[in-house]
Amino acid sequence: MKMPLDQVLLATAIGAYVLAALALLVYFFSREDWLRNFGAPLAIAGCVAQFAQLIARYEMTGIWPLLNLYGSLSLFSAMAVAIFIGFAFRYRAWYAGGFVLVLAAIFLAYGATWNEGTLPAVPSLQSYWAKIHVPIVVSSYAAFLVAFVFSCIYLLKYYAERGFMQPQVVAPMATDAGPVVPASPLAVADFTTPVEDSTPALARAAASGNAVAAWLTTLPSLPQLDVIVYRAVAIGLPLISIGIITGAMWAKESWGAYWQWDPKETAALATWIVYLAYMHLHTRHAWRGLRTNWVSVLGFVSVIFCYLGVNIWISGLHSYKV
Amino acid sequence: MTAVRSLYDDFVRTFGNVLFAVSLFVVWGALTIVGVVVDQGKDPSVYFQAYAAPIARAILRLSLDNVYHSPWYVGIVGLILLSLTVCTFKRVIPARLPPLRPIKVDKIPLHAGFEVAGDPETVRERLAAFFGRRGWQIRERLFDGVEWSFADKHNWARRGVLVAHIGFVIIAAGTTIYWARGFSGETAVLTGETVTVPETHATIRLNDFRYAIQPIMTKSGMVYQPIDYVSDVTVTGKDGVPKHYIVRVNHPIDVDGTLYYQSSYGFGMRFRLTDRGVAVPGVPGRTLAEGDSFEVPGTQRSVVYERFVPTVDKQSGMPAADPRVNDPGVVLGVVQGGSSLGEALIPLHQWVDLGDGWRMTPQRYVLYSGFQYRYDPGIPLVGIGAFVLVAGLIVSFYFLPARLYVRVDRTAAGRSHVGVAATTVKGYDVFENEFRRLMVTLRGETT
Repeated sequence: MKMPLDQVLLATAIGAYVLAALALLVYFFSREDWLRNFGAPLAIAGCVAQFAQLIARYEMTGIWPLLNLYGSLSLFSAMAVAIFIGFAFRYRAWYAGGFVLVLAAIFLAYGATWNEGTLPAVPSLQSYWAKIHVPIVVSSYAAFLVAFVFSCIYLLKYYAERGFMQPQVVAPMATDAGPVVPASPLAVADFTTPVEDSTPALARAAASGNAVAAWLTTLPSLPQLDVIVYRAVAIGLPLISIGIITGAMWAKESWGAYWQWDPKETAALATWIVYLAYMHLHTRHAWRGLRTNWVSVLGFVSVIFCYLGVNIWISGLHSYKV
Repeated sequence: MTAVRSLYDDFVRTFGNVLFAVSLFVVWGALTIVGVVVDQGKDPSVYFQAYAAPIARAILRLSLDNVYHSPWYVGIVGLILLSLTVCTFKRVIPARLPPLRPIKVDKIPLHAGFEVAGDPETVRERLAAFFGRRGWQIRERLFDGVEWSFADKHNWARRGVLVAHIGFVIIAAGTTIYWARGFSGETAVLTGETVTVPETHATIRLNDFRYAIQPIMTKSGMVYQPIDYVSDVTVTGKDGVPKHYIVRVNHPIDVDGTLYYQSSYGFGMRFRLTDRGVAVPGVPGRTLAEGDSFEVPGTQRSVVYERFVPTVDKQSGMPAADPRVNDPGVVLGVVQGGSSLGEALIPLHQWVDLGDGWRMTPQRYVLYSGFQYRYDPGIPLVGIGAFVLVAGLIVSFYFLPARLYVRVDRTAAGRSHVGVAATTVKGYDVFENEFRRLMVTLRGETT
């Protein structure tokens, strides 16, 4: 039996993700360039196939493809990969690709189990807001997934490094209005030498032949990883804010009130609060780093609860599995 | 006065602390999650069925069954607004435009220093030109006889956090206006009948109600997908002129500033009651909605019209999955002295024996349409607040205000030392790469 085009593209995407994930996972540990050069194009191909699948599905059915869990999870994983690819090029961060792609493939495969075929939209979903609200919210979740992966890498490196670190005094940082402070390892007084790693003890261990330390030095420094997480959250937080606002506007048009304290709305609010806390904590030097990255992990747990937990386990106005 | 002053200082110190604000966020988030996990607005018995008695009692006593309107929730939001206000005046506004002042360049984590040819005045001019070409705003100041240059970029973006805070306050003001002056409610209208909305005195006549349900075969079996709900109404507002409207889901109507929404539908039912074969006129004297009941005359029994069954399976006599009206019936319950005597599914036009010679026959169903209505004068303000909030977030996240402190000192005849340090509102890590690139270019162009 001939397979429909959208199913061919879906299978292509999953296949590409699995292969790319394997290559990039090995690359994470081995840093063999050929693995990155093999995995990166596959990740891009899978992402393109996924977007093509969504377009093909829309063209074939005439129904906006994001109105059920299958469609929205498909966009979620595609956006996660797309955002990651942007970060990978911007920050040379392909080392994280294996984890992003594994999650993308899992969510995509799980979404496929919700594929019930072509169903017309229920009346409350027959709105132009479906084409605005859903992609924005799903994109915010995708950005948080990328932040989550980099937070995990941060935490992995942080705890792995602890074994190599000597007790040291952490200098307080100055802000524009803050006090003048002692020098920190980030100083770049001499441009003939590279910026020092934030943990010289790790570099010494690596130089003395410790394999784990040597591998850890191939990852970006903790502050650099923290900046990447911050950048990803800085994409997700405005998006989820706009998503909640557009959802409220849609709710007002559909249900009569912009806020009904529906489980989905309130779970999204809780997620927003977690990332708002992240952003506020990130302004404090003492909290930036380890603690904010744990908050980022907690935030993604909240995202998953809001996205899947509420849809599947808790009945409410959003109980049409979107 | 000293005690009051001390109290005020403590208050400002506490509420102006970011960690205190984050603690409030944590409580706010936890209460919000409680509202997601614990069913809201249910009868107390529901909680005792769902949870162990001590937990159910705690839920009810702590108002966690209506958490979003509980004193805890409103109080936390109030504290957040208070904290936000104090933080805005204590931290955000003072930090918005930090004063120009000298620093110890090599004590700032992001700093650079190099020697260039030229006397300090010439070098300063070259530096000003360099930064000016790249969009940095240059200002020069003299401190204790030492001339400092300050270069700022995206200085305007320092207002982003302030803008976001203002947006949050505007949203809060908009929702307060609704609480103070708005109202909402719901009403159901039987086809052919008219209701008056108590708050607005507008009348709604339901001329017709239609719905469309499409059976679709899926992998999991037959799904009856609702496609459309349409109410054909005539509404008379303040001007007294009846106007014809079509109301659909996602297409509310606006009558004198109050919006009316299609929210539900159902089946009213006309019943015929007989006593030993003789019809009893006027009982029940009206079309019953699902959940309505009436008393059987001369008895202590009451009959409850529990729900409408659009399709009764002919073979099993049980309700079928098809929500379209094919072979309809009704589920009736009989109650005596507060105790249920049982319930039965009765096909349309067939009678049921109520005992003592009483019989009841469901005769005819009438569709009714449910409307929600809402008057919310705070919506424009909430909309503006949302826009301002998002604008503030975007400015805060995507534009990095940075300041460079530049000092040029003469080292030898015809040579100067350039010292540059950088600070940003988000620490040093986010600016490290850009600072390094900037300094490499600066050194290349000035030496």
